[in-house]
Amino acid sequence: MIAVIGLVLGVVAGLLIEPTVPANLQPYLPIAVVAALDALFGGLRAYLDGIFDERVFLTSFLSNVVVAALIVFLGDQLGVGSQMTTAVIVVLGIRIFSNAASIRRHLFKA
Amino acid sequence: MPRHAVPGPVRAADESMTLINEVYRRPLDPGYQEAADRRAAGVAPRRTVRGGAALLVLAVLLGAFATTSAVALRRPAPAVLEARALLEAEIRERTALADDLRRGNAALSAEIAQLQGDAASTDDPELFAQLQRDAVAAGVVPVVGPGLRVVLTDGDPADGTAPDDGSALVLDHDLQILVNGLWAAGAEAVTVNGERLTSTTAIRSAGAAVLVDSTALSSPYTVEAIGDAASMQTRLARLSAGQHLASLAQYGIDVRVSAQRELQLAGRGQLTLRSAQVPGEDLEAPQEVAPSDTQDADLGAAGPRTLGSRSSDVAGSVRRDGEETR
Repeated sequence: MIAVIGLVLGVVAGLLIEPTVPANLQPYLPIAVVAALDALFGGLRAYLDGIFDERVFLTSFLSNVVVAALIVFLGDQLGVGSQMTTAVIVVLGIRIFSNAASIRRHLFKA
Repeated sequence: MPRHAVPGPVRAADESMTLINEVYRRPLDPGYQEAADRRAAGVAPRRTVRGGAALLVLAVLLGAFATTSAVALRRPAPAVLEARALLEAEIRERTALADDLRRGNAALSAEIAQLQGDAASTDDPELFAQLQRDAVAAGVVPVVGPGLRVVLTDGDPADGTAPDDGSALVLDHDLQILVNGLWAAGAEAVTVNGERLTSTTAIRSAGAAVLVDSTALSSPYTVEAIGDAASMQTRLARLSAGQHLASLAQYGIDVRVSAQRELQLAGRGQLTLRSAQVPGEDLEAPQEVAPSDTQDADLGAAGPRTLGSRSSDVAGSVRRDGEETR
């Protein structure tokens, strides 16, 4: 419950304050958002499975975002940034899809 | 099993796909299951106030971060916007400048014509009258009068009345034949989509577009010719151009010929002076003037006439073709 309240507070704060993102962080935003989505879907699925845990949710959220951005950053430094982005998107995309399918089974029993 | 095969550990059939299987079959963070197991076993650490506060802070930060990222991604990059605004301002500025120059050009043209007229009418009224007539023929001045209007429209393959192979498009060739036919039928001035034709005007195609001089035109092509409408119509019909127009219909091109009581044809403005000579001087030694020296050139009264007669055999292919077909 704390995690959900905190997230909602954060979303509201982000919408109200609208802080500007530093220019050199801009390239990693898309990947970070996808990673955040993956964590969100994972958390929702865990909740429906009845094994939701706030600490696991928040740490997986944080590590997802950081690791995804780091991988892409590393790829940028090595000159394979776009391929790394593709790799991360593919892996996270598959996870999101199968989590979404699991959520769907929970919700619609189909 | 072959006799010499080394019995090894049994391998999964899809072992080469471990990576994909790992991703696909365990999309959920294993941490959730472990935490649930710990809770079930009663060994989960107890939630402290500090732990809860840390979670709350982390959650707020993550939520704010994700929202900020999403908002920032939806906004176009400021650099792009800046560049765009800069370009827009520049375009507006240059367009205004071009408009100014065009107006200045028109005013100067009018002044030149005025001064020429003044000079010629006092010095040599006969030459002035000649100049006026030539100005019409050269397409320099706007003219008004009765005439013919011919509209050629590309056939539309979509409605099934025209073939879909591009033959329903009006070609530069069609316009050339029509314009030549009009000249031959006695037209005194001709425009295509408002572009006044002079003796040096070229009608040609660049890709799918028809260029009149360097202006790209598109269907429908309105060709207006000033002259005696009735006689032009009959003469045009008797020329090969008339037959060509009639044959266009079978390709799906729409051809409409109508007599107009009053047509207003725009002038081309001042022509670039390419050759000039002082009237009455020896014709054996024409003084060639480079086009770039136009301003300094002697804008003698004989200028336009010389231009007309000289250039017609250089670049007046459009008109010459028509005369040849006669």
